[in-house]
Amino acid sequence: MKQIEVKNLDFSYDENTHAVKNVSFSIEKGSYTTIIGHNGSGKSTIAKLLIGLLEKNSGEIFVDGLPLTIENLQEIRNKVGIVFQNPDNQFIGSTVRDDIAFGLENHCVEPEKMDEIIMEFAEKVNMVEFLDSEPTKLSGGQKQRVAIAGVLAMAPEIMIFDESTSMLDPQGKNEINEVIRELHTKTKMTLVSITHDIEEVTKSDYVIVMNNGEIVMAGKPEQVMTKEKELFKSNLDLPFSLKMIKELEKNKLKLSHSVTLEGLVDELCQLNSTK
Amino acid sequence: MSIEFNKVSYIYSEKTPFEYAALHDIDLLIKEKKMTAIIGATGSGKSTLVQHLNALLLPSGGKLKVLDFEIVAKEKATNLKALRSHVGLVFQFPEYQLFEETIMKDLCFGPKNFGASDEEAQKKAIHALKLVGLDESYLEKSPLDLSGGQKRRVAIAGILAMEPDILVLDEPTAGLDPQGAVQMMSLFKELNQKYAKTVLVVTHDMEHVLNYCDEVVVMKKGTIYAHTTVKEFFKDTSYLDELHILPPAIVRVRQMLNERGFHLPSDCYDMKQLCSAIAKEVKHHG
Amino acid sequence: MGNFVLGKYLPYDSIIHKMDPRAKILAMLLVLISIFIPAGYLGYAILAVVIVTTVLTAKLSLKFVWKSMKPMLFMLCFLLVVNIFAVKTGDVLIAFGNFEIYSDAVFNTIYIAVRLMLMIMVTTCLTATTKPLDLTLGIEDLLKPFKKVGVPAHEIAMMISIALRFIPTLIEETERIMKAQASRGVDLQEGKLKEKIMAILSLIVPLFVSAFQRAEDLANAMEARGYAPGQRRTRYKQLRFHFRDYMLLVCSAGLVAAVAVLALVL
Repeated sequence: MKQIEVKNLDFSYDENTHAVKNVSFSIEKGSYTTIIGHNGSGKSTIAKLLIGLLEKNSGEIFVDGLPLTIENLQEIRNKVGIVFQNPDNQFIGSTVRDDIAFGLENHCVEPEKMDEIIMEFAEKVNMVEFLDSEPTKLSGGQKQRVAIAGVLAMAPEIMIFDESTSMLDPQGKNEINEVIRELHTKTKMTLVSITHDIEEVTKSDYVIVMNNGEIVMAGKPEQVMTKEKELFKSNLDLPFSLKMIKELEKNKLKLSHSVTLEGLVDELCQLNSTK
Repeated sequence: MSIEFNKVSYIYSEKTPFEYAALHDIDLLIKEKKMTAIIGATGSGKSTLVQHLNALLLPSGGKLKVLDFEIVAKEKATNLKALRSHVGLVFQFPEYQLFEETIMKDLCFGPKNFGASDEEAQKKAIHALKLVGLDESYLEKSPLDLSGGQKRRVAIAGILAMEPDILVLDEPTAGLDPQGAVQMMSLFKELNQKYAKTVLVVTHDMEHVLNYCDEVVVMKKGTIYAHTTVKEFFKDTSYLDELHILPPAIVRVRQMLNERGFHLPSDCYDMKQLCSAIAKEVKHHG
Repeated sequence: MGNFVLGKYLPYDSIIHKMDPRAKILAMLLVLISIFIPAGYLGYAILAVVIVTTVLTAKLSLKFVWKSMKPMLFMLCFLLVVNIFAVKTGDVLIAFGNFEIYSDAVFNTIYIAVRLMLMIMVTTCLTATTKPLDLTLGIEDLLKPFKKVGVPAHEIAMMISIALRFIPTLIEETERIMKAQASRGVDLQEGKLKEKIMAILSLIVPLFVSAFQRAEDLANAMEARGYAPGQRRTRYKQLRFHFRDYMLLVCSAGLVAAVAVLALVL
């Protein structure tokens, strides 16, 4: 079932910057989709259009069949949660507890019920021991986990990660990717991750490649990420395993085109033992 | 003419309830004209360390020598401003330090602070802008009109215009896309090789350490945990595990294959060499 | 920043710290009223005893309170000088040839000084024992009845709490930009006026650019999480009146009454 459908979406910030040009795509319910592109390719603009933070010039956006209009805005925002890039600038409350409560307050949840919900989602992102900490005492990764908890607490059906790991150190990145993986395997939530991490793309179900505000390619990572020429044109690189496979093929080895390192290693080991 | 730390320690907010020791008895010798990576977890003291290089922070204990300048703890340092023109320090997200109406004016800001005349400063500005790969047509533009990557280039040019001998960069590729990051690192390598600048890069990206740097300094809890050549550093992966460092992809592949019956040389960091070694082994086996 | 103590919160554990911020705000207003009732020396003596007792109950040191009054000293000295020249009633205390200092000038100043000191002590009792955020909640609740006449109580509280949340972030940012510009040779201490202006610009412009960026990001994050100004929402933190809070109000009201009676009798 299609959960998000975008038809002929068009948007420009001003006359000179046409950020999104006639973009159409759809996202399956329960899938993990990545949108990849270099900085300025329009990928983050799409995220803001999807939750109505920016107003489209033309085209249509449907969430669960519901068109995104001013009247439906609140209903759609209840379905779609988003975690942004900058860990500091989306921390609204004065403590972890208050930040998770912020969304609940907006949804008019009764104050007596909040503690239980806050606890539940703080546990999910492993932040229980920091509930009363102030943001200045937290690392970037921890702040992003709080942001995720704050969004999850509002029970959305779709989660968008808008370059949520790009300002984090390796440890923080791991923490967030771990949370995303868990959401993907343990819940039926639809995940959309906007990223420039090619290795993350190889782990997703579906990938959309963007360049200059347009969709260049879309499909399964195995199909899309092997197309070297198109990727180069979009200022993107091949995944590491494919670069290596290219080199190995020069050495006359025949290999399938695995997009993950683990897949390549498995294959090479098999060749080494059976041949 | 190098950088020498001698038992340097640093304590934030000394003699207050918030006192916090960030560096403990650092002994470190950084060679001239090399490109050195400084790595370590967040909070390990990397930023504190590099801020000593141009005397933004003065040691609480010990002494350090940078070029001809000597800074001793508790002694009144002289000539700090001169030191700053010799050591260019680029902070994280340097695009936030741009403030002038035109790029030309912003690039001249540093040189003029260090006493250059208008004419000299402009010459230096034009040269620096070329170094970062932008042409003169940008000079009269406002820095605010540029894209993120270009802004960062201009900010770095603002430091280069001071013509420092030592260039220190704190996570210079943070927030850039992979291609932008590669271009940035190549720029520093060029400055290091073509213009013989000593370059220090604080980074989390092991691919960058492997592909661009000569030496690596590992910091842990305010101490120097290791200081070695990059080639030596990535040889022993069990050591990297201990430090919770994810090795570069090429090292990971080599390690995974060797764990499962391959015998690939541990000092091989070149894709071509590694692939031919793999192919040889597979074919030999058959 | 470290030496500036006026309005600083001190996290001690005292009964006053535990009291409801609304009760504390109202009590402060009542005590401020009683300070303005002219009840002579006896009145001020009573008030001083009550206020000092409160300070000590809150486990605040008198040294801390003294520190928060220090900025006022200069103002009081200035006032004394003005009074000496302006007030020419009462007895002549000292005379330098033609120039005479009258007793009323001195007494007036002391009178104002005492009132000012008491006022500062009372407000310190509030701000040092109440977290800024709880203070905001208290103000929001107290302003609620005025919503009908157009006071946007919730919005005011939201603005204050966000400002409080971002103060440490912006201070950090300021330090970082100062260091970055110092690396470009900026010297905030020395230099000619023109250089100093440039130095300040090099700090202020980036700070504003980044603050605007943060504001935009924050607005997006708030909106994405369902916030719309003016829209009904619940509040996680609920304030509750306890017996001690009623007692505080009764005592404060009693104080006002006592001072008022004293003023009438005199």
